[in-house]
Amino acid sequence: MRKLFAILSLLVIASMALAACGGGGGAPEPTQAPEATAAPEPGEVRANVLRINLGTYPDIIDPQVSSFVNEIAHLKLFYEGLTKFNEKLETVPGAAESWEYNDDATQLTFHLRDGLTYSDGSLLNAERFAYSIRRNINPATGGEYASITDEILNASEWRSGVASTCDSVVTAQEAYDTAKAASDAAPTDTALAEATAAAEALLGQAVCTEEEIAAIAESIGVKTSHADGSDCAVNADTGNAYDDADCNTLTLTLAKPAPYFHTIMGIWVAFPAKQESIEEGGKVWWTSPVFQIGNGPFIWTVGEPFVRGYFTPNANYWGDKPSYDLEYRYITDSAVAFQAYRNGELDIVASAAEDLPTIEADPNLTAQHMLYPGACTILIKFGLAAKYTAPDGSTYDSPFLDKKVREAFALAFDAESYSRDVNGGLSTPTWTWIPPGFPGYDPESPLRFDSEAARAALAESTYGGPEALNALGLKLTFGDTPRNRLHSEWLVANYKEHLGVEIALDPIETTTFTAITKDPATFPLLARQSWCADYPDQQNWLSVYWKSTTSFANRQGYENLEFDALIDQADVELDPAKRTDLYAQAQQLLLDDIPSAFGYNTANHYLVQPWVKGIVTTPQDSDWPGSFSVHTITIDTRMSAP
Amino acid sequence: MVAYFLRRILWLIPVLFTVSLITFIIMRSAPGGPWDTDAERRQVDAATLKSLEAYYGLDKPMWRQFVAYVFVDKNSVTREWVCGLICGNLGPSYRQHGRTVQSILFDPPPKESFWQSRFGYSLRLGLTALSFAVIFGIPIGVVAALKQNTLWDYIGLFIATSGISVPSFVLAIFLIIIFGSWLGWIDIIVDSWREIKYWIMPAMVLGFGTMAFTARLTRSAMLEVMRQDYVRTARAKGLAERVVVFRHMLKNALIPVVTILGPALAALVTGSFIIETMFSFPGMGGAYVQAIRQRDYSMIMGTTVIYALLVAVANLSVDLAYVLIDPRIRLEE
Repeated sequence: MRKLFAILSLLVIASMALAACGGGGGAPEPTQAPEATAAPEPGEVRANVLRINLGTYPDIIDPQVSSFVNEIAHLKLFYEGLTKFNEKLETVPGAAESWEYNDDATQLTFHLRDGLTYSDGSLLNAERFAYSIRRNINPATGGEYASITDEILNASEWRSGVASTCDSVVTAQEAYDTAKAASDAAPTDTALAEATAAAEALLGQAVCTEEEIAAIAESIGVKTSHADGSDCAVNADTGNAYDDADCNTLTLTLAKPAPYFHTIMGIWVAFPAKQESIEEGGKVWWTSPVFQIGNGPFIWTVGEPFVRGYFTPNANYWGDKPSYDLEYRYITDSAVAFQAYRNGELDIVASAAEDLPTIEADPNLTAQHMLYPGACTILIKFGLAAKYTAPDGSTYDSPFLDKKVREAFALAFDAESYSRDVNGGLSTPTWTWIPPGFPGYDPESPLRFDSEAARAALAESTYGGPEALNALGLKLTFGDTPRNRLHSEWLVANYKEHLGVEIALDPIETTTFTAITKDPATFPLLARQSWCADYPDQQNWLSVYWKSTTSFANRQGYENLEFDALIDQADVELDPAKRTDLYAQAQQLLLDDIPSAFGYNTANHYLVQPWVKGIVTTPQDSDWPGSFSVHTITIDTRMSAP
Repeated sequence: MVAYFLRRILWLIPVLFTVSLITFIIMRSAPGGPWDTDAERRQVDAATLKSLEAYYGLDKPMWRQFVAYVFVDKNSVTREWVCGLICGNLGPSYRQHGRTVQSILFDPPPKESFWQSRFGYSLRLGLTALSFAVIFGIPIGVVAALKQNTLWDYIGLFIATSGISVPSFVLAIFLIIIFGSWLGWIDIIVDSWREIKYWIMPAMVLGFGTMAFTARLTRSAMLEVMRQDYVRTARAKGLAERVVVFRHMLKNALIPVVTILGPALAALVTGSFIIETMFSFPGMGGAYVQAIRQRDYSMIMGTTVIYALLVAVANLSVDLAYVLIDPRIRLEE
């Protein structure tokens, strides 16, 4: 029995020792620069460090693979693209000093700044960017944003392994086999239909052999050169041109005119991570600050997964250098983060809906609360192409084919009360498509909430009023989650109040809901969907989302050829003013067409301590306020908590 | 005896197989995939999706995916044979490119010891919480039993009842507000998990339920032992009360307590999702929650299998512990 006590006490002692020192398996040593936490100087009450809670720790911090906000929030601190975005979300020079398009916007040439270096002092030339762009396209990288550079010549061919130039055309037999295999794996009729359609699309297309793909990879429209056009010098030892200081010109040949492409070169997918780092570090290279040598305003100095990331100013950065250190924390529980903020342990935290009453009750916290529009527009899309079933089993065409009905439903959408009652004030009403703060934002909209005009529009429609619609037994189909239920119940009540239209709630299983919204034949009568900007350009809002050939417009059954023509014209227009004008016309056309009720913009909402000064926000900084202009921020180190 | 344990160990195989089958089915029927397509995000391009699915074998029929997961299959992109669960391979993480589930859970950062791995962290937190539970639970139970129906007993009962009924996340935020915000004794933001002071709160919160259970168990075992003849005999022989309590009562009363330690440790190591998430603790539970949020299916599945293994092994260890500490118990051969 003495054994028993011995075991118990051993257990206790051992576990305490373990907790404290992390076991005896060799003294753990910091893997990065040892001293990075700045202490306050004499006479100061706080260290010159901006402490931000980022929430979830990133799954991957790799420029060509990452796609989530918290991942990109890291990348954009220590990398910079050829272009970047200013506080108005205009595309401005980044690593490239200037760029120009050829006459038909099928060729884009970047001229890099002189004397660019990485944070470790090594040379940064055009070849580095060429590597990153190739890596983003390379199917072996497997990035979710690979398709965003498809404008580059032969990029989509390399990525998909399908090109019209390849000799080995897919035979009917092969297409059939593919379809058969896919349909065997398909659990539903919809999936089967998708598989069949995919196989049909494959028929006659050219799938390339490995040799052919290698040749395509060689031929993609990415080329580096000296300023005079001569080839960059390849070092015989290393086999690359990374040490040619005059290799400062990058020419991208585009498969189609794309005068917006310099904006895409500002987002994270073309950040110049070093090839050596990626190769030396292996598959997990991105986990270590040692390999994340970048060209951005900060250097990643300490990376303790799930605990903190620490960043110091990059002395080799070409532009305005930040005046402070920056620290990320990864607290996912918003209640804990809020307490830490109130304790003065964090400088910036996202405010959660459940903390709003506390914030509003405290004048200090209210003054520290920043609420500004975000980068997403939420809309209630009207199903146009599908047939719907009435309670008696008969089918009917979408009532939204009648424009007056669309108008009635758009005007009756009370976005202000939606923001207030459903989103707890953490969103801002809008009646237009592109959100405020983005190029192309146009507050002019014929669709502002107006209950009376809505009723009048319904009365003018072929239905003549709510009764005829009610006879159809309209249904609001939604994926059954508590959140969706709340939104849907509000919607139904809203249309009942302002239009007198009765809509039945039709909750269905969420997978099924996703599936039916992807098929034009089954798209719901009303569907709450949204779009968030990838990059600040009208093209990303109008062409990518509303053109009739895109899946978004297609699924809903929206098609306006006049709109398409305007967009096609704008997409290739080189003159910025004309281009802006064309997009503006297109947007007004869209609003006039009313394919949906344009509801509200997401809002960014943060608490910021009073000693953090100089924050300039953009709608795109949904990671933390001011992340697009880090150099304007200062910290008043003499200021104590109020 | 040996045969019995061998048989029990062999039983682990069908148990794990069933667990992985059930998890697999539930997961594949759950809404959404790893590259899916919230309406609020850019849709992954069809060709990219196809190549990702081919790489992860998601384009194959369901049964084939399961066979690949448990046994072996040829990867259709790399054209290499990959051995699955039976080789200890929990598969590649869908979100953390280039990493396997087992390396996320068990591999420490470079140049660090095993204890710095996610599993190591959870194990250490579990052990610390268990120590807390034992150090406080047993004395509370003993005192409550010795002072039965007095104020001490009621205090002990109160602690035990609240430990079982108050959810750990409520307790956690409650303690954070009291000690972090009001009293200002502790930092809410953990500076480094290498410092022992940061372990106190998560370990306490995590171990509180087990402590309550231990206290209750100790109390009832003590009450039972107190009425035994040999205790009366010991007292009649005029032994000091200290000797009676510690040598004759406690030793016997602790047998049931010791037997719950194994499962309790497993429960603490596997049951710490909420605590790990709240304290941003770099352990397995936090990884599990994140994987669920990001729909990293292989990560969810791998972690579940590991949890199942831990619980099964813990239950096995109870039976072993019974034999070792109580000579009256014989296992059927």
